[in-house]
Amino acid sequence: MSTISIKNLRKTYGPYIAIDDFSIEIPQGCVYGLLGPNGAGKTTTFKCALGLARQSAGIVLYDGAPLVPETLEHIAYVPERSVLYDWMTVAEHIEMQRRAYRKFSVSRANELLLQFGVDARKRVRALSKGMRTATMVALAIARESDVLILDEPTSGLDPINQRHVLNLIINESARGATVLFSSHQIGQVERAAERIAVIDRGRLALEGAVDDLKADRKIVEGIFPSESFTLNGLASDPRITRIDRNGRIVRALTSHDAQDVLARLEALGATGLRIVDLNLEDIFVYAVAPSEATADVVEAAQS
Amino acid sequence: MNYVEWLRVRNCLKWLAIVLGALLVIGLIIRITVAVQMGNDESFVKHTMTEPGTKISHSVVGGINRTTILNPREHVTITIDDQPDGGRVIRVVEPSGSHREHADHVTIGSFSATHSQNGTTETTIIDTDAPVPFAYYLAMAGLVGLIVATIFGATFARENDGHLEIALLKPVSRVRYAFGVIGADVTCIILAEAMTIVALAIGQAMFEVPHFDFSGANATFVLVALLHPFAWYALLNAATASLKRGAGAIVGFSWPVALAIVIFSHVNLGNSVTGETFHAIFWTLSRVIPASYASVEFGHDDSVSTGLAAGPWADSAQYAMLAALALVYGALAVVQWRRVEA
Repeated sequence: MSTISIKNLRKTYGPYIAIDDFSIEIPQGCVYGLLGPNGAGKTTTFKCALGLARQSAGIVLYDGAPLVPETLEHIAYVPERSVLYDWMTVAEHIEMQRRAYRKFSVSRANELLLQFGVDARKRVRALSKGMRTATMVALAIARESDVLILDEPTSGLDPINQRHVLNLIINESARGATVLFSSHQIGQVERAAERIAVIDRGRLALEGAVDDLKADRKIVEGIFPSESFTLNGLASDPRITRIDRNGRIVRALTSHDAQDVLARLEALGATGLRIVDLNLEDIFVYAVAPSEATADVVEAAQS
Repeated sequence: MNYVEWLRVRNCLKWLAIVLGALLVIGLIIRITVAVQMGNDESFVKHTMTEPGTKISHSVVGGINRTTILNPREHVTITIDDQPDGGRVIRVVEPSGSHREHADHVTIGSFSATHSQNGTTETTIIDTDAPVPFAYYLAMAGLVGLIVATIFGATFARENDGHLEIALLKPVSRVRYAFGVIGADVTCIILAEAMTIVALAIGQAMFEVPHFDFSGANATFVLVALLHPFAWYALLNAATASLKRGAGAIVGFSWPVALAIVIFSHVNLGNSVTGETFHAIFWTLSRVIPASYASVEFGHDDSVSTGLAAGPWADSAQYAMLAALALVYGALAVVQWRRVEA
């Protein structure tokens, strides 16, 4: 049990639409990154996927079957904020997990806590924010579950422990677990995730394998001799996702065939032509940000 | 599956044990102090025994060691019955300066004092081992049960306030989990009441051999002492199960609000339309408060209540209403909590 299918998910809170027609398919053993700006609907998606919130429409399937209480034996979740009980010790949390989940490994949990530098004898209220996150990650990993859902699993952690969490995520995937996680640290997502989805204002803005997205998407930039020029239908070229003009400068975001687009711009009289590669952060910004994104990306590439 | 709730139960019982233990220590200190004082109190008897002309005789009547002190000069007769279980009954008959007829009776726990005057003869009977109606213990236990029920009155709301991701991701249905929580809390109430009864018995044993009176309507008290806290616990949880915050305020104000409603439901607010309307409103509101059904009576003159009001309900109707309220409120709490979203 480890393939996750989210189909046409919709979640509303009164008149507010938190998720709208959101569909993704997460293959078994995949590390899947969910990106989106604040309030985009990432956490709501996770909650709907886990049955913590009731979706208004759509369905979430685990290996083709809807979520039932028994399914939760195979799913571990790390929320974005601490849900640990302040008055309990970390050791008591371990005991709580041991009693609740058959596959929970106490020795693995203690080993991970040791690696994170968390003293299991301490009460949660005595732990820092990062230590609480680390504790939740350790408790989730020690479940040895088939599915791991992590909402900002590196929040509050120092760089060393952030890297450690990423390694744990990759190891879990190597073990065969399916991992769905979100992070505002796009570099981390780029490092760990095989596939990503970008969610913006509750809707799926972009989805695909990280390598494919990076390989396909380029910015083609050209400079025209004067500000009065025509693009001669270039904007409607199906290979061009978006085109921005800024004075004499034109920037076209292409989904493929960047060289052909460059040739078309050259034919229209543009000079100083060049193709700019995009990293995952650029791709994310393109997917969710307003039109000045192209300028930001090119300026970043120039610097 | 309900490990967290059992930890809460353990902590609650631990604190209750500490409080009861502290009270017992205070009781022990009082006992030591009273032991000294009691020597002084018996000085009257000792003084009478040493009066010239006093005759003292000892006899055994039915296993009771009886000491009879007769002071012909003062016309005082004192009979001291030392009973096999450690109790003592002192009967003092003496002349009075006035001529009247009256009788007073005071009972505090197992201590009973009766003073009567018949013409010019005064009789005082002090019984230090009068049977203690077990209802006293159950009334105290019921009160502690109510306090514990209040402590656990927002048990679901506590999960809602930041822990639902733990509670709701256990591989069991929400209903089963909720029943597990309720089971733990109800067990805590029962254990707290049992601990209170044991502590009271220990406390009494410091002063005398406990001599319980299990006769009469003790089944009534047991039922009310248990059902009342259960119903109160269920009511508070029904009121808070869907809340994520603010449950503490509801629990905090629950006692004064409930007391006010029950009191006003029994107060005559006048014969005006306004007065009768308010009375009707409070009486109607009081019907959904468990305390309205928690009154019990025992003995001839005494009344012990785990609630406040003596309603017009027959015993069986009271139990039925308390049980029904516990079940209905409990079901309401579970139904609401089932629908809570993280």
